[in-house]
Amino acid sequence: MKVLFLQPPMGGWVTWGKHIAINVNHAQLAANLREWYPEINIQVLDCRALGMDENQMIDAIKGIQPDLVYMGDALQTTGVAAIHPRYQAAAKLVKQTMPEVKICVGGFFYGANAPEMLAKTPEFDFVLYGETERTLPELAKELSKKDPDIPSVKGLSYRDNGEVKTTDYRPLIENLDDLPLPAYDLFPMDKYIGFNYLRHYVETYHSRGCPNGCRFCVGWTNYDPRGNRDWTHYRIRSGKRVAEEIELLVKKFGVKFVCMMDEDFNVYRSRIEEFIEEMKRRGLKVPFFFMGRSPYHLRDKDLLKPLREIGFVCGLFGMEAVDKETLEKVKKGISVDQIAETVRLFRENNIMSVVTWMVGFPDDDEVKIKDRTERIDKIDPDMTALQIMTPLPGIPMYKELEPYTEDWDLRKWDFQHAVLRTKYLSKEDLGRLAAWANREFYSQPGRVQRILYNKKYHPFCRLIARSYVETTDAHARAAVNDEIFV
Amino acid sequence: MMEREIHISPQDLLQAMQFRPGDFANIAIVSGQPQRVNMALEKLKNPVKNFSAFGYTFWTGEYKGKRVTVGNGGMYAPDAALITELLCVGGVDYLIRLGSCGALKSEIKLGELVLAESALRGDGVTKYYVNNDGFIPQADKSLTDTLEAICKKHIYRGKVWTTDALLRETKEVINNVIRQGGIAVDMVTSPFLTISQLYNKKAIALLVVSDNLITGEIGFSNIKVFDAERRMIGYAFNLVGAIDA
Repeated sequence: MKVLFLQPPMGGWVTWGKHIAINVNHAQLAANLREWYPEINIQVLDCRALGMDENQMIDAIKGIQPDLVYMGDALQTTGVAAIHPRYQAAAKLVKQTMPEVKICVGGFFYGANAPEMLAKTPEFDFVLYGETERTLPELAKELSKKDPDIPSVKGLSYRDNGEVKTTDYRPLIENLDDLPLPAYDLFPMDKYIGFNYLRHYVETYHSRGCPNGCRFCVGWTNYDPRGNRDWTHYRIRSGKRVAEEIELLVKKFGVKFVCMMDEDFNVYRSRIEEFIEEMKRRGLKVPFFFMGRSPYHLRDKDLLKPLREIGFVCGLFGMEAVDKETLEKVKKGISVDQIAETVRLFRENNIMSVVTWMVGFPDDDEVKIKDRTERIDKIDPDMTALQIMTPLPGIPMYKELEPYTEDWDLRKWDFQHAVLRTKYLSKEDLGRLAAWANREFYSQPGRVQRILYNKKYHPFCRLIARSYVETTDAHARAAVNDEIFV
Repeated sequence: MMEREIHISPQDLLQAMQFRPGDFANIAIVSGQPQRVNMALEKLKNPVKNFSAFGYTFWTGEYKGKRVTVGNGGMYAPDAALITELLCVGGVDYLIRLGSCGALKSEIKLGELVLAESALRGDGVTKYYVNNDGFIPQADKSLTDTLEAICKKHIYRGKVWTTDALLRETKEVINNVIRQGGIAVDMVTSPFLTISQLYNKKAIALLVVSDNLITGEIGFSNIKVFDAERRMIGYAFNLVGAIDA
């Protein structure tokens, strides 16, 4: 049995510039597979990292001769739902040349929509429903048997004589420390690049879920809706284990920048304390980024200094909206004052702040979006990441957003294109206002220069800022002209 | 009818701002863009605010033992004229302008620099200072030579045409400027050099290329332009170091 983890040729999120990251889902699944079923042969083909086109991909796959090809992701930052057309195109090519090869997808977007996506995509043989990390290895093991019993593998959709069937719900893995560390050794670690400039760049994923459960969050789409709010069932690798992983990355793979892609790294103070202590004990200091929530940063404000000392140079936290009504409707669970104070504390500690915010809520009109822009301008984070609401099936707001959806071309379902209207704005006006708001933020005199030439910030932050500035035009081209980037 | 010779003189304005002789240094670095002023200000030791009025703010501090004044010296010809005259009357002898321009040669790239040797007067303000259409204000040659040597590369010297009408840079107008030898266009250099020259001050204008009228490139938010702004400020302070004042 030979399993191929395939990242097909594809672009990337426009706001991240040239961004070729390791697929954290593949790296974890490969590690699990290797540890649990060592008899299974594992291959990795990251066409994006290796700069391969579709022909080269097919030639390489022919050489590998896999039995099962897996494509999937855990992170929205690869391209939100725009990954699907890419995976589908790759699957079609594989099936045309090697019809006997089984194709499985899973993870982000598919996790909440397995039966529907399998029904819509004849090129796929299996779609994993919910958490992938045990299901894929078990599926591979089952397929290696002479007479596979697919219905016995929990958490997937498959075809039975053309009919889409779905197996039982698979419970979540409770303790992430039970999992092996991702199989970085199987991936072309020297090929990855972040934010146009950062080489020796890695993305990591040390926790699963987020206890808050904002209603717009696309993280929900990793999980089987039959579960009991699986997305909000927050699970972690311990601080000690995170430090161990970083040590491996730094010492074995020469990593120079770690982008921690946990949706919410700072939920538990004790974990952060343990992480700091363990990094110090191991003598590790490497620049890193993580995403967290503002209220937790405020709770742990005394930890910002020691975090900065071990390499926390840039952090992202979400604001999304500024008016109380919208924040309550989407269950964001923060206040604008908290965001402003977090920005201030980050600046005081020479940590670059990146604040996410959104346009495209159903009640958004021009006045609301411009007011939101004005408020975020006053809060004055170092950088912002503006996202346009994308109505992924599987998020709690989906039913509410569905009537407003006007563009079903998934190539544009990447948070950077307007694919829906609001009660008061056309889809086109929403895209135009998104471009307007992003341009307004970055064109305030001195804002960009404050980061670009400020030696208090880590040089990597200055490069990240440079990358953001370089991509603002492309952001507008996506939002206004529907240019495709993923 | 008005019977006074002049409504407000530069001295009146300085007095209204409680300005005292000696508040300004004899070297000033001015720019219209606030971010450039802030970056220049970061280089000053012990800056003291001279005044903040009418939207203009100036500080005087020290750079490597020399007193230097830094402030926003106007974005367009009328306000550049006003501030230049205040600086001249206020005791500044060396005026260094850091500005932006559009290139009039295809080979001049975004983020490169232009040193104005002289200005072609397409602005409306200088006619109130000089009643001679043939007058071509000059930058100080010695300062220009020194600054060119400091910048070393990616720098062009020549005539800069100053316009008041950014949105009327038509083919006919621009080609006429090129025929007169213009290599760049801006909105400040003419009054800046004219008034400095009338007061017998040494003035120089260093401009970052933010767009190119020949190729059509527009780079107001281009990272190369931001980087060049930063370099330009460094060069200006190197020039301060080289001025024997």
